[in-house]
Amino acid sequence: MAVVDAVPVPAAGPAAAAPGPLRRILRDRVGAAALTVVVLFLLLAAGAPLIAALYGRNPVEHYGQNAPGLLSDGGLPMLPNGGISGDFWFGLEPGLGRDVFTQLLYGIRTSLLIAFAAATVTTALGVLAGVAVGYLGGIADRLFGFLANVLLAFPTLLLLLALSPIIQSRLVDPGAAEPEWMQFLVLILVFSAFGWIPLALSLRATVRSLRERDFVQSARAQGASRFHVVVHELLPNVRSQLLVHATMAVPTYVASEAALSFLGVGITEPVPDWGRMISRGSEVFQADPTYLVFPGVALLLFVIAFNLLGDAVRDALDPRSGTR
Amino acid sequence: MLSFVLRRTAQALAVLVAVSAAAFALFYAAPADPARAACGPRCDSGQVAAVRQSMGLDQPLAAQYTDYLTGVLAGRDIDDVDGSTIHCDAPCLGYSYRLHQPVSEALADHLPVTFSLTAGALAVLLVLGLGTGFVSALRHGRRTDRLLSGFTLVGASVQIYFLGYIAQWVLVYSTGLLPLPSYTPPAEDPAAWAGGMLLPWLVLGFVNSAVFARLSRSQLLETMNEEYVRTARAKGLGRLRAHLKYTSRGAAGPLVQLLGLEAGALLGGAVITETVFGLNGVGRFAAQAVAGQDLPAVVGAVLLAACFVVLFVALADLAVAWLDPRVRLS
Repeated sequence: MAVVDAVPVPAAGPAAAAPGPLRRILRDRVGAAALTVVVLFLLLAAGAPLIAALYGRNPVEHYGQNAPGLLSDGGLPMLPNGGISGDFWFGLEPGLGRDVFTQLLYGIRTSLLIAFAAATVTTALGVLAGVAVGYLGGIADRLFGFLANVLLAFPTLLLLLALSPIIQSRLVDPGAAEPEWMQFLVLILVFSAFGWIPLALSLRATVRSLRERDFVQSARAQGASRFHVVVHELLPNVRSQLLVHATMAVPTYVASEAALSFLGVGITEPVPDWGRMISRGSEVFQADPTYLVFPGVALLLFVIAFNLLGDAVRDALDPRSGTR
Repeated sequence: MLSFVLRRTAQALAVLVAVSAAAFALFYAAPADPARAACGPRCDSGQVAAVRQSMGLDQPLAAQYTDYLTGVLAGRDIDDVDGSTIHCDAPCLGYSYRLHQPVSEALADHLPVTFSLTAGALAVLLVLGLGTGFVSALRHGRRTDRLLSGFTLVGASVQIYFLGYIAQWVLVYSTGLLPLPSYTPPAEDPAAWAGGMLLPWLVLGFVNSAVFARLSRSQLLETMNEEYVRTARAKGLGRLRAHLKYTSRGAAGPLVQLLGLEAGALLGGAVITETVFGLNGVGRFAAQAVAGQDLPAVVGAVLLAACFVVLFVALADLAVAWLDPRVRLS
């Protein structure tokens, strides 16, 4: 087992993590609250069909258009506050008259699916590239540094915006309708293409300094293979860095996905999506701000909770960060 | 210092060349049909063929790229779909067959808005970010620090496409405290310019200040405990003066670098902010080019944005080297 002393990673072995990281997150009041909100969002996403069935509405039916008295002639909800009532807890969508509560509920699934998939892929790619380059050093390291400089020069959002139609054009024939799963795949691919670089850069630096340390040197001196050194000596020591990165990546992707959908190149109708809800809400917010406020506040809560959880994870895994 | 400047410039140029090659590969080689993507969905097959001819898509990729680079450096002539030939001045970033205009001209039309937006937002970012960072660091661990941390957390988490509308709703539509966001050339009417841009400046500056505030807080905290600061304090220099004179200079490096990155990124176009406030800058232009499937305009906008990032990151590095001799000697 790797000997870890001054490296800020206590979780290298079961013995080192005396009060488990989870326990330490829960001991911190803010961390515990953040974790609760995150778990709540996960439960809502997982239980969306069940909750919707109990509640008796679905996110696609045009209630406002099918039943009279719900929407005005201009398409705005008749009741104040966006049509909030016992039947429609969060009101109705202006125009189409869909139920806001279930749209929000299913929207969590859209966001989380894309964010988790993208975070998984970018973390995996980042580890592969960062550890390999950091360990190999030399020319691979310099090439990677240059490549990262080039890729980081590109404007992120603009590139995401511009890339999605191009990837689409490769995957779908012109004129053909794009299946739902393809929209998800395109977004995950777009996020993955560039999201791995920051993690790879920071891992490269960590591994470069770890490589020179005694426990790695002694493993090599004892004839350990490169594979053994990377998997058994280096990876355990970057585990906390990975975890923090993954936690912080999820809210970033949720927000980016919503931004792309807001700009009209993300998820399209009829898949429920927060970004598209905000975009629709922005068209009518002067007359009826409710439809903008619900997805906006949901997104804000979600991102804050995940950011706080990321901070808590970092504090729990890195004893030094608490002093900053 | 001179050798550092030369090295850094050479590196920036190399990155720019690579960026242009990568952009070219991504956008002109990757799409299933670049001519169709450049011409847009409403072109008939004859027009697409004309665009294919004009873009030189029948030639090998290397020749296409050299043509493109020649255009950037010296300008070139481009045939439009209707058969007319237009001269595209250097730096020629391609020709928009949708707008019937060289992309660089179209971008130049939208740059003043983005310049204005960036300048004001950066000012707000600096004041807010440095202010909260400095106060937090001085009051480290106390209630003010925690309060400001909450403030920066909201800034780091809130999305402009939500905050922008809410701010507009509260400050413009409900109370009428601020005029409707719009762009007036500052030379025409400076008051209208500042009034119309104030809300976008505040929103964009606040959202971007969060990261800056966090970094300045941690930088200042770190430098406060450096021995040279303690020495100055021990020799009787006041707390505030010691921090202003020694701590801030020692902590400035990463902050200047972040500021350079922010400036470069904002100049490339704040897509969301410009969309939310209806400002016709390069970001909105680019978003509309994507929506309208105007490939050359998209590539031009991406390249321009990348140039700004490379340029300002390099400038920031030079500034840091000037501030801190340890950097330029390493």
